[in-house]
Amino acid sequence: MIPGFTQSLTLTLGHLYPDQLNLYGDRGNILTLRRRCQLRGIELRVVGLGVGDALAPDEYDMLFIGGGQDKEQAYLVQDLYEMKGIGLWAAIEDDMPVLAVCGGFQLLAHYYRPAEGPDMRGLGVFDAWTIHKGPHVARCIGDIAISWNGQTLVGFENHGGRTYLGTAQPLGKVLKGYGNNAEDRTEGAIYRNTYGTYLHGSLLPKNPHFADYLIELALQRKYGEPLVSSAESVAPNGTVHTNIGANGSTVVELLTYETSTQLKPLDDRLEWEAHATILERLGLHSEATAALRRQKG
Amino acid sequence: MRKQGPSQPLANELDEPAQGRKTSRTKSIIRKHGLQNKHQKKQRLPRRHPSLRAGLAVIAGRAAGALSRRLHLGAGTSIVGVVAQRIYPQIVEHLATELEHGSVMVTGTNGKTTTSSFIAAILRDGGLRVWRNREGSNLMRGVASSLVIRAQPNGHLRRAGRAISILEVDEAALPQVASVIHPRIVVFTNLFRDQLDRYGEVHSIVTHWQRAVSLLPPEATLVLNADDPTIAQLGASFEGRVLYYGVDDLSLNLLTQQNASERHQVIDTRTCPQCGSEYSYDVRFYSHIGHYHCPNCGKQRPQPDVRATQVQLDGLDRLRIQVTTGEQQREIVVPLPGLYNIYNALAAITAARALDIDWEPISSGIEQFKPAFGRGERIQAEGKTMRLLLAKNPTGFNEVLRTLFSDATPRHMLFVLNDNIADGRDISWIWDVDFERLAGKTQTFVVAGTRALDLALRLKYAGVDEEDMTIIPSIPLRVARREANRTPRQIGMSKRGMRAIGQAIETLEKHPDKANDTLIPSTRMYGLKNALEVALNQTPVNETLFVVPTYTALLEVHHELEQRGLTPHYWEGGDT
Repeated sequence: MIPGFTQSLTLTLGHLYPDQLNLYGDRGNILTLRRRCQLRGIELRVVGLGVGDALAPDEYDMLFIGGGQDKEQAYLVQDLYEMKGIGLWAAIEDDMPVLAVCGGFQLLAHYYRPAEGPDMRGLGVFDAWTIHKGPHVARCIGDIAISWNGQTLVGFENHGGRTYLGTAQPLGKVLKGYGNNAEDRTEGAIYRNTYGTYLHGSLLPKNPHFADYLIELALQRKYGEPLVSSAESVAPNGTVHTNIGANGSTVVELLTYETSTQLKPLDDRLEWEAHATILERLGLHSEATAALRRQKG
Repeated sequence: MRKQGPSQPLANELDEPAQGRKTSRTKSIIRKHGLQNKHQKKQRLPRRHPSLRAGLAVIAGRAAGALSRRLHLGAGTSIVGVVAQRIYPQIVEHLATELEHGSVMVTGTNGKTTTSSFIAAILRDGGLRVWRNREGSNLMRGVASSLVIRAQPNGHLRRAGRAISILEVDEAALPQVASVIHPRIVVFTNLFRDQLDRYGEVHSIVTHWQRAVSLLPPEATLVLNADDPTIAQLGASFEGRVLYYGVDDLSLNLLTQQNASERHQVIDTRTCPQCGSEYSYDVRFYSHIGHYHCPNCGKQRPQPDVRATQVQLDGLDRLRIQVTTGEQQREIVVPLPGLYNIYNALAAITAARALDIDWEPISSGIEQFKPAFGRGERIQAEGKTMRLLLAKNPTGFNEVLRTLFSDATPRHMLFVLNDNIADGRDISWIWDVDFERLAGKTQTFVVAGTRALDLALRLKYAGVDEEDMTIIPSIPLRVARREANRTPRQIGMSKRGMRAIGQAIETLEKHPDKANDTLIPSTRMYGLKNALEVALNQTPVNETLFVVPTYTALLEVHHELEQRGLTPHYWEGGDT
C-alpha cells in the first residue's frame, strides 16, 4: 500500500499481441511488473490485446509491446495501424507509460525496411527508422549496458535491423554493446512516456529501478501527483555522485533521476547482483560497484 | 560417383563370418539410390585415382586428429573431417557411398539424440552395423569426421558391409549435409524456438529445411511428425515417400487439463503457411504439438501412418505405448519418462518401418535402450541416484518440469544454466518456461551455472522463496569483498575463481573505498564443483537428485562426475 492512500490501487496493463510478439522472453517484463505491484499492494490487471482487438486508451494505464519474428510482424502491421493506431496515439499523447521492446520498438518508429521486400510501415511515434542491411551484415547479438538517467540498464540484444534516430531522443547511451545501430552509441528512443529499446533478457527483472519507474509513472498519471512521499523512503535527489571511470578519470554525474520515492523499496539484492554481474561481464567494474552500492542506499 | 568410386565391398567384409544369419533380411533392405544420373552430370570427382586421394585425405585427417588429441587441443574430432576435406573435398561423398545400407539423418530442435539412439538400438538388434556421428558433432565437419575416422589409409571404409550410418544433423546444417550424403531416410522431429542468437528466428530454419527437402532424391523417404504443423508441411512438396507419425491418445490433451500454468506455453508455429490464418486445435499435447486444422483453407494434420493410440505413463521410469500401423497393433515399452519421448520413439519406429525392419528388433531395441548422454541418464553416487535431464530450450524445459512435477512428490533439484556459445548466448527464453509449477514442490534446490543469478531471479518471480534456493554462480563478482577475504581453499575455488578473487583483492587494495559491504550474502559459494557437492549433500541417501543442465553445463557435470570416478568418458560411450 502506498502511504497516504487508503483506497486500493489498481493498474491495468494492456499487453499488445501477447501470442505473436513474445519471442525474447517478453513475458518476464509482465511478470516483473505484476509482482512488483503486488508486493506494494497494487493490483495489476493484464489484458491481452490480440489481432482484431481495438485499443481503447481510457481502459489502460500502461502498455507493453514485445518482439517477434519478421514474418509475424509483417502480418501484424496492418492490424496495429487499423485497429490500434488511433487509440495508441491518443494514449501516448496522454502520457501513458508505454514500453516497446525489440520488434515493438521497430513498429513504433516510421518504418522497417527488410533486406528484401517492401517496407513495413510503423506508427511513427518515434522519429526513427530501421533498416535491415541483408544477411551478410551480422546481427547485433550480445550483452549490453547503457547509461540511463545516471544509472545503468543491462540486457541482451539480438536484432538484425539497424535503427537510426531522427529527432527522437535515445533512451540511453551505449556503454558496452551495439545499441540501435552499432554506429552512434545510441540505444532505444523516448517520446513522452513511451520507451523503445532493444534490451531484452528480459529487461525489467534485472532493472528493477526501471520497472518501478514505469509503475510510478502509471500511478502518478492515474492517481494524480505527487504521491505523498513516505518517511521510510530514501530520496537522493540531485545528489552528486562520483564515479571512477574505466580509465581512472573521475566522472561526475548529476543524478537527475528521482529514485522511486513513492513506491515502497523491495528486497532487490538478487536483482542487483544479477545486474552487477552483467556489468562485470562487460568489464564495467565501477558501474557494477555503483549499482550494488545504490541498492544498499 | 558410384561408377568411379569403389562400389564393391572390400575383401575383408566378404570374409566376415557373421553375415550368414541375417543376410537374407538385410539384403531386402537394400534399395539402391539410383543417383548415377545426377553424378554423371556433375562429374565432381577427379577422373583418376579417387581412392588414392581419398586415402591421402584419410591419413592426413586422422594424423591431424591424433596430433590435436596429443597436444590436448581438443577431443580431436572435428579437425579430422576438416583436414580430410581440405585434401579431398569429395571425401565424404566418396566414403558415404560405400555404406551398404546408406544413411539415415535425424534433425529437429529437440529429440535428435534420443531418436537417433533409438534408431541405432533397433537397427543393431536388426543385425545391421550402425555408425553414428558423435553427440554434438552434428555439423558438416562432425559428420565428415565420423566417416573419416572409420576409413582406411587405402581410401575405403573399414567394414562397410551391412553398415548403415545414423547421422544426427544440426537443423541449419541439413541442406549442406544432405546434398553431400544422399540419405535414404530423413527424420524430422519438431521445431521450437532454440538458440535464437545462432539460428536467428524460427522461420529461417523452415526455409533451410525446405531447401534440403528439395535437394533430396525421390528415392528417399521422409519421416515426419504429423502433430507439428511446421514439420508436417515439409511433406507437401516432396515427390518421394512420406511417412507420418503422431499421437492419437486424446487423454493427453492439454486443453482439457485445468492447471493454469499448462495453458501458458509459448507457441512457435501458429499460422497456416498456405493462407496465414491461425490454426485451430482440437487437441494439444504440448506447445504447438497436437491435432490442428486451419479454419480458413482447411489444411489439417495428416493422418499418421504410425500412431500411438494409447499411452500409459509409468512413473519416471517408463512409458507403455500401443503403436498402431495400419491393422497391426503392438505394445512398446519406452524406458524413458516424458511425453516428448513418445514422439522420439514413434519417430524411430517409423524410420525402422521405412527400412522394413521387423517388429521384434523394434520392440527389443527400444525396450533395452540405454538413455543417451544426459537424456534421462541415471548415475549412482554415494547411495543416491542422480538423473540427468538435459533442457536447452523452453519447450524442452517445460516438458522436463511437467515430467518431474506432475504429481505432488517434492523433488531434489539442481539446475545449471550456462550461456556459452553451444548453449546459445541469449537466455531470455527462461522467462518462457513455466517454473511456476515447481514453486513449493522442491525439497532441496540448487541453482548454478554462468547465468545462475538470472535463473534464480526467474525462479523468484515464479514464486520460489529465495530462502529455499542455494545459488551458486560460476564466478564471484570482483566487488564481492567478503569472498575476497575467504581463502580459496575453504570454498573449493576453481582456478578462474581464484584469479577473480586475486583481482578483487588487488582492486580493494587500490581503492579502499570499494570495500563497502556489497550486499552479496557472505555464504555465497561459486563453481559447478561446489554446486554438485552441495546438491548431493542435501539429497538424502536412497533419494534421487534431478539435475537439469543446459548443453555445456551437462558436459561440465559429466566432467565433474568423471573426476569423482562416477561415469565413463562420454566419448567412450557405446555408440562409437
